[in-house]
Amino acid sequence: MTADLTTDVLVVGAGPAGSMTAKWAAKHGAKVLMIEKRQEIGSPVRCGEGMSKAWLSDVGITPGRWINLEVEGARIYSPSEKVFEINEKHAGNEVGYVVERDEFDKQLAIDAANAGVDVVLKTAATSVLKENGRVVGVKAKRFGEPFEIRATVTIAADGFESQVGRWAGISTNIAMRDMDTCLQYRMTNVDCDVRYCDFFLGKVAPGGYVWVFPKGEGLANVGIGVQVSQVKAMADARNYLDRWIEHHPGYAKGKKIDMVGGGVSISAPLKQTVGDGIMLVGDAARMIDPLTGGGIANGCIAGKICGEVAAEAVHAGTPTKEFFQKYEVGWRAVLEEKLYRNWLAKEKLVQLSDETFDKVIDALQGVRLEKLSVHNILKAVNEKYPEVTKEFEAFL
Amino acid sequence: MPSKKHLHIESSGQLCIYCGACVGICPLNCIYLDETRITFDEKVCTRCEVCVKACPVGAIEIG
Ligand SMILES: Cc1cc2nc3c(=O)[nH]c(=O)nc-3n(C[C@H](O)[C@H](O)[C@H](O)COP(=O)(O)OP(=O)(O)OC[C@H]3O[C@@H](n4cnc5c(N)ncnc54)[C@H](O)[C@@H]3O)c2cc1C
Ligand code: SF4
Ligand code: SF4
Repeated sequence: MTADLTTDVLVVGAGPAGSMTAKWAAKHGAKVLMIEKRQEIGSPVRCGEGMSKAWLSDVGITPGRWINLEVEGARIYSPSEKVFEINEKHAGNEVGYVVERDEFDKQLAIDAANAGVDVVLKTAATSVLKENGRVVGVKAKRFGEPFEIRATVTIAADGFESQVGRWAGISTNIAMRDMDTCLQYRMTNVDCDVRYCDFFLGKVAPGGYVWVFPKGEGLANVGIGVQVSQVKAMADARNYLDRWIEHHPGYAKGKKIDMVGGGVSISAPLKQTVGDGIMLVGDAARMIDPLTGGGIANGCIAGKICGEVAAEAVHAGTPTKEFFQKYEVGWRAVLEEKLYRNWLAKEKLVQLSDETFDKVIDALQGVRLEKLSVHNILKAVNEKYPEVTKEFEAFL
Repeated sequence: MPSKKHLHIESSGQLCIYCGACVGICPLNCIYLDETRITFDEKVCTRCEVCVKACPVGAIEIG
């Protein structure tokens, strides 16, 4: 039998958001236990492995062997494959590294462990424990054996599946138009350019895009996200991706060496991410950027705030929804405005025809943007195709 | 009461890649993924077919 456990802070899920939360709670003096249902943190890798880099030092992450390569920029391809290049000079923090995501996740877990966090693998939360309406831990299974973990503060960092919060009664449900279904192959022997992360827009990936993130030496992550509401038939994500590859000789000649999938939320921020005894963080709190689909940075940024507030609540003996407003307000102050704007932009973009996408990218040919933002892009497009930007007036 | 349609998740590994996409979008939160085992609550499921669309590889069938 597995003995029941008691801790100050229980973190469910050892992804980037969980490890960051755990680390910062421990650094602020809380006793922290982090459980992970997989047997190996970070594996299998369900990620394109692209991330920006400017935020890393703010949350105390130092460069390590998890960096695969540094790119110079990103290239956005319109349906007729006109290219808009975003380079480091004007995108600044938006471009950065292609990483080894398994190494990255492991490094963050190691940092957490070194800060005093106990990490337990092969342990899955199966429901939450509630007393007088307050979450006081979870029921879990370890190597198939049920047991209980009691905690002053429970953190739902269980990723896209986002079940712990829902078991606690916090709605994290998303509509079909607010999710992309994703599939990715790691391919070898492809003609990609190691200087760029590439994005292909339009009907090749309805409501999403095809990405090619280089891994060096002819290796690349080639993936797709398709908006679930635009899925017509079973396995559409795979069918679209296979079709794209078929039509690109530089990739059609490549060989697939692994395949991963997953869900990405492209929703507006949730109304509520805290409850009595519980806080949600990362993908579990639907913090992915709805325009780019990137979620690593936001999960880590919110994780630091979440961990600090969790420790404070433990010291003060007030793990209440009211106290957790500090986290609710804190993460929103940093992330909410951009999440919301990008969600609005996404809502528009998914309606654009291939012709319009072509015009947008065409209008950006040769334009030098000082800083990459939806606003600046629209200004540039407005000069050449004012009719295109009409729909986007709210952003101008 | 009319009997519910049949929902089948091909979870032996022939199709399912254990990605969790269906879990996160199921509006009733009735699918559960354990590394390489996927189950759903027959009684709770309303056969809304959202998971069928969300699955990137077509491992879920309703009929
Ligand atoms: C195909 C794909 C490509 C992507 N590409 C990128 C990209 O290039 N760049 C980017 O920034 N983002 C990308 N994302 C998004 C990114 O992967 C997520 O935003 C990121 O992983 C979020 O981190 P997290 O810690 O919130 O969740 P996760 O990394 O998902 O971690 C959650 C952890 O919780 C565990 N868990 C779940 N349920 C339980 C339970 N009941 N009990 C115990 N443990 C549990 C899981 O096993 C997992 O380890 C991609 C997503 C997908 C699906
Ligand atoms: S059919 Fe609907 S309710 Fe049933 S498992 Fe799929 S998403 Fe959930
Ligand atoms: S979405 Fe499909 S492949 Fe992914 S876990 Fe569910 S059934 Fe398996």
